[in-house]
Amino acid sequence: MIFAQIFDMISVGIVVIDKELNVEKWNRWMETHSKIASENIIGHSIFEHFPQLETKWFIRSCKSVFAFGNFLFFSQKLHGYIFPFMNSFTFCTEFSCMQQNASMGPLRDENNQINHLYIMVNDVTEIASYEKKLIEINTRDPLTEVYNRRFLSNRLQEEIERFKRYGRPFSIILQDIDHFKKINDTYGHICGDFILKKFAHLNSERLRSVDIYTRYGGEEFCCILPETRLESAYKLAEDLRVTIEKQLFEFEGNKFNITMSQGAVEITLGVSNAEQLLKSADELLYEAKNTGRNKIAARITEM
Amino acid sequence: MNQSNIVISDYQKDILQELMNIAFGNATADLTNIIDIHIELSVPDIELLAIRELPEYISETIDTYSETVIINQKFLGDFKGSGLFVFPSSSGHDLSALFEESGFECSQLSGSSLKIEIVMEIGNILIGACVGKISELLNTSVIYSPPQAIFVKENKYDSLVNLFDSSQSVIVMKTRFQQKKGEGFILIITDQDSLDWLKDALDKFMEAYQ
Repeated sequence: MIFAQIFDMISVGIVVIDKELNVEKWNRWMETHSKIASENIIGHSIFEHFPQLETKWFIRSCKSVFAFGNFLFFSQKLHGYIFPFMNSFTFCTEFSCMQQNASMGPLRDENNQINHLYIMVNDVTEIASYEKKLIEINTRDPLTEVYNRRFLSNRLQEEIERFKRYGRPFSIILQDIDHFKKINDTYGHICGDFILKKFAHLNSERLRSVDIYTRYGGEEFCCILPETRLESAYKLAEDLRVTIEKQLFEFEGNKFNITMSQGAVEITLGVSNAEQLLKSADELLYEAKNTGRNKIAARITEM
Repeated sequence: MNQSNIVISDYQKDILQELMNIAFGNATADLTNIIDIHIELSVPDIELLAIRELPEYISETIDTYSETVIINQKFLGDFKGSGLFVFPSSSGHDLSALFEESGFECSQLSGSSLKIEIVMEIGNILIGACVGKISELLNTSVIYSPPQAIFVKENKYDSLVNLFDSSQSVIVMKTRFQQKKGEGFILIITDQDSLDWLKDALDKFMEAYQ
């Protein structure tokens, strides 16, 4: 009697499934969040109400519990959720569905045979939301909202590893706003900040969704272009150069144009770390600066 | 190392070896037939060690890799301890081979975080398969804590010691697994508390055949 009450009072979803994957128990938490009354689901296949669960991993997980008596843990990080329920935390707007950590394990009968398994579901939307915010704080530049240098270094190293493993090419473009100090000195730092934000926005919106745009530091920015040879990177850099050159910036009644210099490099076998690649892009960037600015210097890196 | 209270006889060690042969044989068959994961588990090897000897044992067992991911999962019951799924993640041993068949459909994560989560779930299944089959033969059942991932650089396994009571001695049951391009180890480390129970269980296991 008391145990039966716990089953329905607890703030955790509990489902019991038999070997045919039909639902045998469905607690009140599951009823509330799924809006499916237990009498409408008990005796029915779990896939009847949740067809999206009919996947290789879910079926294999169930079989693994029946075969080995395994306890399986499904993390929110990997799956997001097991059951698609409405998000009950209205302030966590970044998730459309309730984020869940779930576990699955065996239920044995008096002969120690496993004929049923349980699934327990925990709502972790709030934690996942905090975690997402922490990751954002840790990887984004607060002023321009593009990725920061820490993210750039890690991501660049990952791309280098991928290149070494699969030989997939990639290029980077390092950009520097020409005469930025002069803008700061003439119009003030608030105007400088406005320029940085607008500059980052103009560049990042012209990139593909697979490309990564980051603030390298000060008025320097870096694009990582996966699966891109130097020739295509050069074309993109030229397109970006023209975009910035043509854009009229307007701040508190002052109108002005800016330009940028760029260094573009493609990865080669001799490069072993992010610093080496950034260094060669930086050298090219200064080559562009020293030969007149508002231009691109590009080369395949030779180490 | 204080072995006096944990020594198992050569006879018991032989029984344990045989029991693990059966258990891992069953696990391999079920993994392939029932849940569609094709791996090979080698003939298991059994060692009696002090916890402090564990890092050296692992680094001697495993070739040097730039990075290794270890999934640690504790299990509780009469039979009690930790399952370690040791998987090198260097470029030569590509994790993705293990994932191609995993059938995970995931859009939220990318790169290394996704891989770790997948290795964690694969490790969870493999540790569960091995521990589960041993428990079944010993006529008991265990419960598990959620898996944890530990990252080891350049074969430095000293941090592993911190996961255990360093004064303890353990029986390490090791199997090498192979799957297409990837290979690694599963170590099942018994807790000292369960050694007396294990000795009894092994004797009972043999009685059934006598």
